[in-house]
This record gives sequence, C-alpha cells and structure tokens, in this order.
Amino acid sequence: MDTTAVFEAIRASILMLERLGRPLEWVLLAAAALLFLTAVVPGARRWLGHALGVTAVLLVAGEGLLVWFHWQLYQNAVVVVPQTGQITGTVAVPLWIESEKLYVWAVVVAAMALLARRHREELLPGAAIILAVLTAGAVVWGKPFTYPLPSFFGQYGAYLSGMASGDIAQAVPAYQGMEGARQFYYNTWYMWVHPPLLFISYGAFAMSFVATLRMVASRFSGYETTAYRWARLGYLPLTAGMLLGFPWAILAWQGESWWWSGKVNMSIMMWLLYTAYLHARLYLRRRGMWRLVAALAILSFLVLVLTYLTTYIVPGAHSYA
Amino acid sequence: MELPAIKRNWDFGLTVATVVLLGSLGLQSFVGTLYVWWAQRANPAWEQLHYAEFVSRMNAFAAPQVVLLVIVMGLCVPKRLFSRRALAATSVAMIAVGAAVWLVSGSLSTGLAAYLALSALIQVAVVALTVAGTQAPSYLTEGRLTKTGSGLLHLGFIVFAFVVVALQDSVFMLPAFWTATAFMLGGTVLSFYAEKLAVRRYRPADTSAED
Repeated sequence: MDTTAVFEAIRASILMLERLGRPLEWVLLAAAALLFLTAVVPGARRWLGHALGVTAVLLVAGEGLLVWFHWQLYQNAVVVVPQTGQITGTVAVPLWIESEKLYVWAVVVAAMALLARRHREELLPGAAIILAVLTAGAVVWGKPFTYPLPSFFGQYGAYLSGMASGDIAQAVPAYQGMEGARQFYYNTWYMWVHPPLLFISYGAFAMSFVATLRMVASRFSGYETTAYRWARLGYLPLTAGMLLGFPWAILAWQGESWWWSGKVNMSIMMWLLYTAYLHARLYLRRRGMWRLVAALAILSFLVLVLTYLTTYIVPGAHSYA
Repeated sequence: MELPAIKRNWDFGLTVATVVLLGSLGLQSFVGTLYVWWAQRANPAWEQLHYAEFVSRMNAFAAPQVVLLVIVMGLCVPKRLFSRRALAATSVAMIAVGAAVWLVSGSLSTGLAAYLALSALIQVAVVALTVAGTQAPSYLTEGRLTKTGSGLLHLGFIVFAFVVVALQDSVFMLPAFWTATAFMLGGTVLSFYAEKLAVRRYRPADTSAED
C-alpha cells in the first residue's frame, strides 16, 4: 500500500472541497439571512419565493460538491490488511453523517417547501424560518466544506499513520478499528438507508409542525388536515427507518444494552409520541380533542429536535455518527 | 355504518390506554436520557461503573408498561370481530391463557408469547375477513383498503412484538421480522393512502369539496 499516494490524493480532494466550498458557505449564510428576513418582515414577503428558490439551488449545488468529494474518498480511501497486503475494500462514507447531517436536513426541508401545494402561501414563512436556521446551523456548526468528516479523517488518518510506520504492532489495531468501521458502519447497507429515511421524515414533520402552529394561531381546521398529511408522510419513513435499525443493531451491537442509549431512547420516544398523535387524531371530532392533538403534534416536533441534539449531548452508540 | 355505543367506548378506552402507555414509556425514555446526561457529567467514569445497573433499572420500570401495552394491543384485536359479551369473554380468556402459560413455564416472556400468538391468530382472521369484504369486522375507519391497512398494521405490530418477546435468539427471527416489517409498512401505506390507491368503479359526483 502506497500510503503517501493515498494521503496526497485525499488531501487534494479536501483542498478542492475547501477552495470551492468556502465561498459557497458565505453565500449560503447570506441566502439564509435573506430568507429569514423575507419570512419575518411583512414588506419583504413578496420576495420569499425567490429567496427560497435561491437557497434551494445553492444547497443543491453544495450537495453536488459533497457527492463529488465522497466519490473521491470512495476511489482513494482504501483499507489493506497490514500482515498480508490484501485489499479489503474502500470506504464508502455516507453523505449524511458527522458534519453533513444538518446540511442534508436543510436540503430535504428546502425540497419539501418547494413541493408544498396545500396552503402553500401560509406555510412558506414558517418553513422558510426553519430552513434558514438549518442552513445557517449547517454552515456555522457543521462546516461540511471547510472541516469535513472529522471523525472519519481522525480514524482513517490514524490507520494511514500506522500503516506508514512499518510497525505491525501499531498498524494492526488501527487496521482492526478501521476495517470494523468500514464493514459495520460506513459501508453497511443500513447506513445508506436508515439516515436518509429519517431525514425525509424530519423534513415532513417540520412542515407538519408549521401547519399545526398555523392551526393553533388561526383555529382553522384546514391547517390541521394539512398538518396530518405532512405527518403521515413523515411517519412512514420514520417507522421504516427505525424498524430497519433493529436487525442491524442486534448484529452490530451484539452484547450491548443499546436500547437504552440516549439516541435510541429519544428516537423511541419521538416515534411513540407521533404514534400517540395519530391515534388521538382518530377522535378529532370529540369536543376539545383538537387541543390534545395539537399539543401532541407540537410536543412530538420538539422531541424530534431534542432527539437530533441528543447525539451531541448524550454520548452513546449513535455518537459515532 | 355507525358503531354501537359499547364498541365506540371500548375503542376510545383502548385508544386512551394506548396513548397513556405510549406517553408513559416516552416519558421514561426522556427521564432516562436526562439521567444519563447528568450522570456522565457528574462522574466521567459513570458508564464503566454504573451503566449495567442503569439498564436493569430502566428494564424493570419499562417491563410492566410493555406488558400492559402488549395486553392492550392484544385486546384491540378481538374488538373487530366479537359482540359485547363475546368480546369480554375472549379478552378474559386470552389473558387467562397467557397467565396460565406464564405460571406453568415460569417465564413471563413465554406467557406473553402465547398471548401474542393467540392475538396474531385472531388478527389473521380479522384481516382475512376484511379482505374478503364481509361485514363482520368493525372499524373506526371507512373503506375496505383502509380497513385492510389498519388490520395489517396491527398484525405487523403483534408479529414484531412476538419477535422481540420470543424470537430474538431464534433462526426464525429475521424472516418473522421482515414479515412484520412488510405488514407494518404495507398496512401504513394502505391506512394513509387508501383513497389514492383505490380503483374507482364510478366517478364521484363532486370532488371539488375534498380539498
């Protein structure tokens, strides 16, 4: 394995990503600020659609850049057995982990805000505020273009160092860690299905949340139906994503009590609350029931946000991502 | 078709019980997460020293709630098929069978598995009757596709609960899990989007009021 060549190839990709991504981060920040202003300043509301379109185009352009970057990693981040020199494969780093999670969520919300049809005019300001916050958060805290994938590069860098040292005692543990992560985390089918399903559901629940707030503010039942339509769109991928995690968790976290880890806890709580919301909604026509339904919908979304933050606040099995 | 009052109340009671139990489990999850967050800050070695103890305590708190949830889920099943008296008798009989198996085997999970197996059998009959279009199963929802979706969704939950309770170390775990997943997702799609999937044999007189 020519570790210098691998290192140089990956370094060149990182530099290219930074060169193109740094100005894009500033433009995205400006677009997010503009989007926020058009959503909150009544006089600027007529520009809201344009601001949303521009932000969406910029986000998609950035996502394209990230796809290119991940493809370069897939071409170059090779893993080799230190003792035999046999290649086990390359690392397929998913596009929705570490520094790129908020970014993907922003892309999904942008797409859904553009696709919304029912009560579009009324929902757009709320959706735009959420999108502006997500975009700014993705750029400021995520730094997907200027500080990409810190955990992956930490681990892969340590593996390359171990291989370059020529010391088998240093190379073997680094290889075992990297190969384990490659097989059970980065390259597993589950990581290519579970997070995208959850981000689609998060996007739909964000729209449902906006419609619920409109309903509470205006007491107009049409918004409740819209909130329900978005919630059912979110519930399906949420259920699928969480279910698909079950057999994978049994295999990958064998012997660990993973079901009480912070992220799993909060995810189950979020799913339970949305299930409770959908059950309570069956009795919407009962007197005063709409208040409970609205409270459950709002609480569910707040728990969704907490679930997302739990990865960073409470260490556990999901902190790896 | 209007449901009889007793079935409406039974449905509402079970829905409230489900929502309360789901909320209670959710609250426990939240409190558990907060506790882990606090404990890890108070003692950096907490995970190595006390995590196993935390897990057993959480399991002990959750167990009665999960058992109750499984029972409520099982009781949701015969309500589709039986009249008031038969409903009460079937519910009591199912719980009695589960409890008897628990006492004989000495294992709560075996008792729950027996209870879930009975529920699954009844639910299979409910789904079959719904698909056949008989009037026997009663639902809160309207339309055969929506009802089939609801039936499949609940069957999927029962099979999934059966997997968690009884099959985690079995070779049948994965096939049963995928069956449950297919039922749940297919059932959810039918429940939510039946009106879009239905083949209309006639054109409704006026569709403008729908939106």
